[in-house]
Amino acid sequence: MSLLILNGSPRAPRSNSKRYAEAFCRYWRGTVETENLLRGDVNALCAKAGEADQVLLVFPLYADGLPTVLLSFLKDWTRSMGEKKPTVSVLINCGFYEPEQNRVAVEMVRLFCKQTGCPFGSVLAIGSGEAILDTPFRFLVRRKLRKLAGAMAHGRAVSLQCTMPISKGMFLRASTTYWTRYGQRFGRTAAELDTMEIEEGT
Amino acid sequence: MNLLLTDRPLTVSLPEGWEMVDLSQQTIAPCLGCFGCWTKTPGRCVLRDDAVAIYPRIAKSSRVLYVSAVVFGGYDVPMKTILERAIPIQKPYIRLLDGETHHVQRDVAPKDADIVAYGADTQEERDLFRRLVERNAKNMNFTAVRVHYTTMDQLDETVGEVLAQ
Ligand SMILES: Cc1cc2nc3c(=O)[nH]c(=O)nc-3n(C[C@H](O)[C@H](O)[C@H](O)COP(=O)(O)O)c2cc1C
Repeated sequence: MSLLILNGSPRAPRSNSKRYAEAFCRYWRGTVETENLLRGDVNALCAKAGEADQVLLVFPLYADGLPTVLLSFLKDWTRSMGEKKPTVSVLINCGFYEPEQNRVAVEMVRLFCKQTGCPFGSVLAIGSGEAILDTPFRFLVRRKLRKLAGAMAHGRAVSLQCTMPISKGMFLRASTTYWTRYGQRFGRTAAELDTMEIEEGT
Repeated sequence: MNLLLTDRPLTVSLPEGWEMVDLSQQTIAPCLGCFGCWTKTPGRCVLRDDAVAIYPRIAKSSRVLYVSAVVFGGYDVPMKTILERAIPIQKPYIRLLDGETHHVQRDVAPKDADIVAYGADTQEERDLFRRLVERNAKNMNFTAVRVHYTTMDQLDETVGEVLAQ
């Protein structure tokens, strides 16, 4: 069973998606290849995707939908899709707490599958995806990744989700600390990050 | 200010107070996902292309009309690209809105929004697009939003009708 993992993050080489994909691979026993869509050769990528038995799309939620780089790829792939139709699964993460916020983007991939005739496989939707891997709760993600890999290996379709097991109030406080520290690395204060000002434009 | 963003050239007469940006005539790179607009130069994107003149106008507008093709139940690439590039107008900080986590807006006018969508041929695709727009409303400071489905042939007419409302 050959698997192609496609990383659809616009910052693929340094992305959370990369880390999720790597963690997934620890539980995948078959052959697997990983490619970044960012600056990839579209024709070669479409050809590769067309040869795989399964494709796992790993990407972040962007403006409630698919990031442009993934959207562009899926459009290209639709045009060049051959006879062989791989099963397409989804490993999506979003910055907000609720994994449910990923649902519309997952449905977009399902619609892509319907329009192209590819079977739709399994889903893992992660909330608080920007931060969870650097918390003790990473074990929850790993557990779900193992389930995802198991389901995909056995051709079962599952829909999984996870987030940090903390209250939303705690999440708000943790995210405030997270972004404030992020800004400090660039010499910015919390007040500067909090500015109401948007550049004027021209 | 009222802003019409379109992914195709339109032949419409703009009422007083409206500005139009034809995205097909703009050079706009995809977001890099670097979060520079939140953490390095808050309120300012590191990419210095045509998007820089557009997202401040999105922020200022109290009425927006977005005209886009629909692909896989979402916006086609040109509209999606500018919507992603507009995140400098939000703060990195998160709040609860209707019980859900969302970013705090910077100086962004609340918006009455119309979306004119073409190329969504099935009811399933239209339903999904509507769900997307309803989710966008929370992140893009829409106070009200209406979706109008049309075809590419009827685009000028539909946009004209929406502008006349
Ligand atoms: C332009 C842009 C738009 C985003 N839109 C959303 C969104 O609508 N909802 C959300 O929960 N997170 C959103 N995020 C946050 C990302 O999904 C989150 O940071 C994710 O962990 C990035 O994954 P990556 O490192 O694999 O790219 C957005 C981030 C960027 C840069």
